[in-house]
Amino acid sequence: MEPEQFQQTFKRLEAEVQKVIVGNQEVIRKVLIAFFSGGHVLLEGVPGLGKTLLVKSLSHALGMSFKRIQFTPDLMPSDIVGTEVLTEASGRREFQFKKGPIFAHVVLADEINRATPKTQSAVLEAMEEKQVTVFGESHLLESPFIVLATQNPIELEGTYPLPEAQLDRFFFKLLVTPPAPDELREILKRTTGVETSDAAKVLSEDGGRLVDEMKQLLRQVLIAPPIEDYVVRLVHATHGNGQSGGSSGIKQYIRFGSSPRGAQAVILGAKGNALADGRVHVSYDDVEKIIFPALRHRIILNFQAEAENVNADHVIAEVMKQVKRN
Amino acid sequence: MSSVDNGAEKGKPENLVTRLAARLRSHVLWDSSLIFTPPMVAAVFIAFSFYRAAWISPLTFSLVVLATAGLAVLAVILRYRPLAPSVTVAAQLIDGRAQSKDRFLTLATLANAAQPATFVARLRQETSRFGERIQFGRDFPYRLKHSFYRSLAVSLAAAILFHFLIPVAASVIVPQSVQQRLRQIAAKMAQMQSLQPMAQTLQTLAAKLDDPKATPAEKQAEIEEVEKKIDEQQKKEQEKENRDLLSQAANSLNGAEQQQSSTGNQQKKDQDKGGGGIESNLPQDGKGEGKQSEGGGSNSKGEQSAQMSNDTKQGQSAQGNPKEKGNEKNQQAQGDTKSEQRDPNQPGKEQNNEKIGKNQGGSKDGAGKNQSSEEPPQGAPPAERFYKAGEGKEGIKGAGYVTVQLPEDIVADTKAEGKATKESSKSNRARPQLPVSNAPLPAHVPNAPSEKQQMPIEYRGIIR
Repeated sequence: MEPEQFQQTFKRLEAEVQKVIVGNQEVIRKVLIAFFSGGHVLLEGVPGLGKTLLVKSLSHALGMSFKRIQFTPDLMPSDIVGTEVLTEASGRREFQFKKGPIFAHVVLADEINRATPKTQSAVLEAMEEKQVTVFGESHLLESPFIVLATQNPIELEGTYPLPEAQLDRFFFKLLVTPPAPDELREILKRTTGVETSDAAKVLSEDGGRLVDEMKQLLRQVLIAPPIEDYVVRLVHATHGNGQSGGSSGIKQYIRFGSSPRGAQAVILGAKGNALADGRVHVSYDDVEKIIFPALRHRIILNFQAEAENVNADHVIAEVMKQVKRN
Repeated sequence: MSSVDNGAEKGKPENLVTRLAARLRSHVLWDSSLIFTPPMVAAVFIAFSFYRAAWISPLTFSLVVLATAGLAVLAVILRYRPLAPSVTVAAQLIDGRAQSKDRFLTLATLANAAQPATFVARLRQETSRFGERIQFGRDFPYRLKHSFYRSLAVSLAAAILFHFLIPVAASVIVPQSVQQRLRQIAAKMAQMQSLQPMAQTLQTLAAKLDDPKATPAEKQAEIEEVEKKIDEQQKKEQEKENRDLLSQAANSLNGAEQQQSSTGNQQKKDQDKGGGGIESNLPQDGKGEGKQSEGGGSNSKGEQSAQMSNDTKQGQSAQGNPKEKGNEKNQQAQGDTKSEQRDPNQPGKEQNNEKIGKNQGGSKDGAGKNQSSEEPPQGAPPAERFYKAGEGKEGIKGAGYVTVQLPEDIVADTKAEGKATKESSKSNRARPQLPVSNAPLPAHVPNAPSEKQQMPIEYRGIIR
């Protein structure tokens, strides 16, 4: 595959999803980048912003299987990964594995923070290992596989916030913002009229193979050692050990900085961004565009930050100020 | 930048980065050199000023020059090394100019072997197109930095400051002893072929002066003998440098002579003090006379202040009144010319004498001290102030001539004393024999005006 082909496919997918979703272009773009990087996405936003529609539209455009799991407190792991059921075939009874909704290319884990940690962890194993284990037997998931989880930031009653270790497995955390007036007007026009638009299928029948090729191509994108070094310094600085020491700045708000997965996400995301722009090399700008969704859920802030209403994006912005390009 | 350059850049964009890095390094090197060159030159100039003022030897001067140059080179290297731009910096600069989104950076820093060849080839192709936008001459010209101008200004200010401060400092610096000066001069003379015997003589004299067994009279005789030799040598010498050295030696000897005489005989010392300043004539009015003399000497004060030396101070200590300094300075040039025993009717000779006198005055103030009596020594041309209005070299045009009448008892005393000391003056021609004042005494001024008035001696300068 050539970079131009990647770019074309990417643009078409983007355009198809944008036919359905008004606004949030960056969210759409980054979801696609995460998809081609082999990562999963946590979408955070208040209800009614089109998170679920976005995921549906993406799966339509990709032409791949889509499953939605509505997370509730009584949801069991077997409801997600599947379970052994007793079946009778040719007069013989035997247990047969019945696949859960996780066995799909695109999985929407809606309101993931409403399920218990036990159920959440069942999804997270699938996300990381691309397989599930039921009664000691492992079942591989189909490739490509992406989990798009959503969570509501305001309704905390009766929720189980994702533990840090589980959050770390999401490639990006994207914030879905309310539409601007113009966008809202367009949404109304599209959804309240007679004609509604759906995302068209972009990839052909062997879309899975194509996606795999695109994933391979993304990893070949060139990145200069100084830019890699810049990413390393940025990620290291999230621990409060940045160039300026961070003693009086961000360090006071940070409990834990980003894990190495954060750096991996930044580099891969930057590569995806570069390739989507038709470039075969990563620039500093790519890194700076990707760093917020890649690191915001990996930086664990302390009580002081919460008390002073400092969030992870503030910390990342401060880190970027402190860490200079080479 | 030429189109040829652009052609080359098209081929290999990495070369563009390398060339820019080299260019920027040369810029930094120039900057560093330009920043440290003015201080180095200023330091050398200051050292040269010290050398010229004879505060440091030629060897020291050479060492200072070498050390300054070494320090400057070291400073340039120390500044250059951290500021020398790397390939990364150069690539980023080109990327910034060409708006190539870090293409040059990637290409210049990437280890090509480990990367997909197709991607590298594609990147190189893209980068070449961006490289066409770059012209070194236009995009990265060399400009003088503000730091250079600051360095230049500070160095210039320092050099000028020292240029004016050194003469001032020379006037207040602690002097060396006469023996040391003689040895130094002897060492310098020893380097000149024609002055080697004289150097030997001076060394011998310095040793004699150091010898505690030698009596003051012996030392005095030795000094006078050497002085004669120096006088003779000065007349023979053609080289200016040699004459300068001889003048310095003569000045030092004058100081030594005075020193010896001051330690020899207290009575004689008092007379010597009289010879050194007019206040010795009127001990009770000494201070006032000293002031007057300073006023009279204002013409040459600026020149002399820079050249006041050891001997002057020794002379002062012998005379016991530091306020007489100006008076002595004033009389220095006259004293020098007196010692040459010149005929005022021989202008050529006089001119030569003036030159010597200037040299002497320029280096040693002590030269005039012993010979600064108001009464001119026998055979010597009278000092300018002894001339009537309009007389002398430059004459005191349009000035009135005033004879100051001293109290009779003092005049009588000084005359009697003068007779007593006249005998000794033959053997000690530098010693003033008569009481003096800044005003001419009737006995030495033929056809003196008849009018006489009690004129406070301080007003002499005003009347002039």
